[in-house]
Amino acid sequence: MTEDILALIKGNVIQGRVTQDDEGFDEGVVGQPGVSELTEKALARGIGLRDIINKGLTEGMDIVGQKFEAKEYYIPDMLASAEAVGAAMEILEPHLAKSGIKSKGKIIVATVEGDLHDIGKNIVSILLRGAGYMVKDLGNDVSPQTIVAAVIEEKPQFVGLSALLTSTMIHMRDTIQALTASGLRDKVKIIIGGAAVSEKFAQSIGADGYGADGFQAVRVTESLSSSKENKGGDHG
Amino acid sequence: MIRKGLAGGSFKPLTEESIDRIHQTAMRVIEDVGFEVNSEIALELFKGAGAWVDREKHLVRLSRKRVMELIEMAPSEIRLCGQDEKHDILLGGQRVYTGTGGTALYIYHPDTGQKQLATLDDLKRIAKLVEQLDNIHLFMLPTYPSELPVEQVDVNRFFAGLDNTTKHVMGGIYTLDGVKQVIRMAEIIAGSGERLHQRPIISMITCSMSPLKMDRHYGDLVVTIAQAGIPLVCPAEPLCGATSPVTLAGNLVIQTVDSLTGVLLTQIVNPGTPVVFGSVSASTDFRDLKYLAGSVEMGLLNAAGAQIAQFYKLPFYATGGMTDSKVLDAQSGYESALTSLLCALAGANFIHDAAGLMEFALTTCYEKYVIDNEILGMVMRAVEGIAVNDETLAFDLIKQVGPGGNFITAKHTRHFMRDEHYQPSLSDRDSREEWEARGGKTTWERAAEGAKEIIANHNYSLPAAVRQQVLSEIADIVD
Ligand code: B12
Repeated sequence: MTEDILALIKGNVIQGRVTQDDEGFDEGVVGQPGVSELTEKALARGIGLRDIINKGLTEGMDIVGQKFEAKEYYIPDMLASAEAVGAAMEILEPHLAKSGIKSKGKIIVATVEGDLHDIGKNIVSILLRGAGYMVKDLGNDVSPQTIVAAVIEEKPQFVGLSALLTSTMIHMRDTIQALTASGLRDKVKIIIGGAAVSEKFAQSIGADGYGADGFQAVRVTESLSSSKENKGGDHG
Repeated sequence: MIRKGLAGGSFKPLTEESIDRIHQTAMRVIEDVGFEVNSEIALELFKGAGAWVDREKHLVRLSRKRVMELIEMAPSEIRLCGQDEKHDILLGGQRVYTGTGGTALYIYHPDTGQKQLATLDDLKRIAKLVEQLDNIHLFMLPTYPSELPVEQVDVNRFFAGLDNTTKHVMGGIYTLDGVKQVIRMAEIIAGSGERLHQRPIISMITCSMSPLKMDRHYGDLVVTIAQAGIPLVCPAEPLCGATSPVTLAGNLVIQTVDSLTGVLLTQIVNPGTPVVFGSVSASTDFRDLKYLAGSVEMGLLNAAGAQIAQFYKLPFYATGGMTDSKVLDAQSGYESALTSLLCALAGANFIHDAAGLMEFALTTCYEKYVIDNEILGMVMRAVEGIAVNDETLAFDLIKQVGPGGNFITAKHTRHFMRDEHYQPSLSDRDSREEWEARGGKTTWERAAEGAKEIIANHNYSLPAAVRQQVLSEIADIVD
């Protein structure tokens, strides 16, 4: 029985179905329970959180990744799966907190001041959610002060900044300086991306990482996660 | 022979019924869904003009009757002037013109294979180049000077254009003060404010935020520019599957609504303001949702946009002629040619981005201007079509030459050959032996030589007295 539900969660992650009303990749699945319903059911049955996450969600996402690599899946397929995982994580979050299992961490994302480009940032957010991070999206045209306030409020481990314009990339530096001035710089890892910026620029403004696309965004965050744990930094 | 302003319209991706259905759906969106306006001034203006306004949501809805009345007020023809009158262009109808586009982040050097952030000097050099390339009719400011603070960007970009080419200069703008400085500079160059209105040597571009949104800053800019009466494009850039429905028809609905919102606002601010209906519609790569600049769907969308603009009797700004390729190769050639050709044959009035852009519109390249100049010459020849009359049918000549004769020595041949057939300036038509003897150069190698020669040997700059006045009055200009 346990195995069945986990297999169904995994299968529906692959299908990219959040609820029973969703279409999947294959025809004729509308009406059958989606990842949200299945996750609730798994919790009700007392299935372990680790199993739901590892054998259901993560294994499903791994296969989605393979299908994407094989060019069978496109981004909207992948995002549907990521959304399903995100929905499940939201259901699991209160239980995770209680059980002492740590989520992968929280990241604040924003497009910097003066910049309205948000398509790339939105993709990054969804993929990070799909990878199991808690994502707080502050939107576009976000000032350094707003980001500082959000870091104080949300206590994230990561801040992701996006800029697509030559005229706005400089506000990434301003944001980092504002975080430094508020004594928050060493509480967070800062990751940047967007068409205007580069690895070199990231180094020049003292960011911790750069991602050229959504997948790299996840990879960089994961690699900084492990170094983060080593450092053991936390919000005091 | 320079071909410009010829009438297109032979390619019609939309039937009349399709145009009507797109129009009806767009009107339903404006009436029932509405669009968000985040500029307070703009919101007030819409309210004053009879729109239903929800202040909390910043939402504006208008009746289709009111929409059509406002569209009626907008001129259906707009003259964009060059400093030299021979470069004037008259947007409207199905007349076709081409131009550069922007605003690329990088400049690519094929000889080193490197790209770098573009500078003001790049902008000036490209202006010099475009001044000499006859099939590029309008100069749209193609790069952003990465070394300047944003407050100095607007006036320096426009100065770089006006001081290096006599073609019309169009450009995006960044700050309100910048807009005012640019207008002041253009007044000095035109002779007076009055003269600038009679002969607008500049025009400006803002943007809507698809889907269905007008940003605060750009709303304010539209109001300022319309008040000044400077010709304005307020294009929308819906991307299939990202900021519009994935279907081409759905994209065209968003495209129509979002471009009209700018048109409507200008007519409320200042009835009769010269405003251009603009499309930057495009598709995305579903592998990563990257913006695509060279897809055949982009060609279709912008050709269809031309038909929709013709339906509203508004001048049209289309997007075509770019490539996603990182180098100058077969892909850069076929994507650039195909997308500009589709727009041109549909009678798109001004095809922007038609020269110089590669790599998803992120990068510009000197050599590509020279290559695109050749493509656009061929495109304009295709627009011209086939003239059929007694002289071109040539019955008398055929009778005179008779069976088994030839036409090589006929006066008719000499008379028509140069104009009837496009004469390339870059393409290789040498025999293999000749081509090898000349160094066996590829297209981009020949284009590089052309670009270097033009930039080294041709120099336009503003008349000395005018230039001096501009420099002394406008302190921010970096000379
Ligand atoms: C779509 C678009 C718009 C839309 C934006 C809609 C929206 N909701 O976002 C609209 C029409 C509003 C727009 C407006 C403007 N734009 Co624009 N725009 C683009 C365009 C064509 C595509 C951007 C895009 O969405 N790409 C698709 C996404 C998926 O890719 P992405 O953003 O790069 O994101 C990926 C990576 O970069 C990375 N990433 C992104 N963010 C982050 C963050 C982190 C933390 C990490 C790790 C990674 C990461 O991962 C993402 C997913 O793979 C680009 C050209 C281009 N090819 O990039 C121009 C471009 C960026 N725009 C440009 C310009 C000039 C403008 C305007 C100034 C034009 C004007 N007329 O005023 C305005 C400015 C508005 C403003 N103040 O921000 C120029 C910039 C030039 C420059 N030197 O600065 C470009 C390069 C186009 C050009 N050649 O002219 N634009």
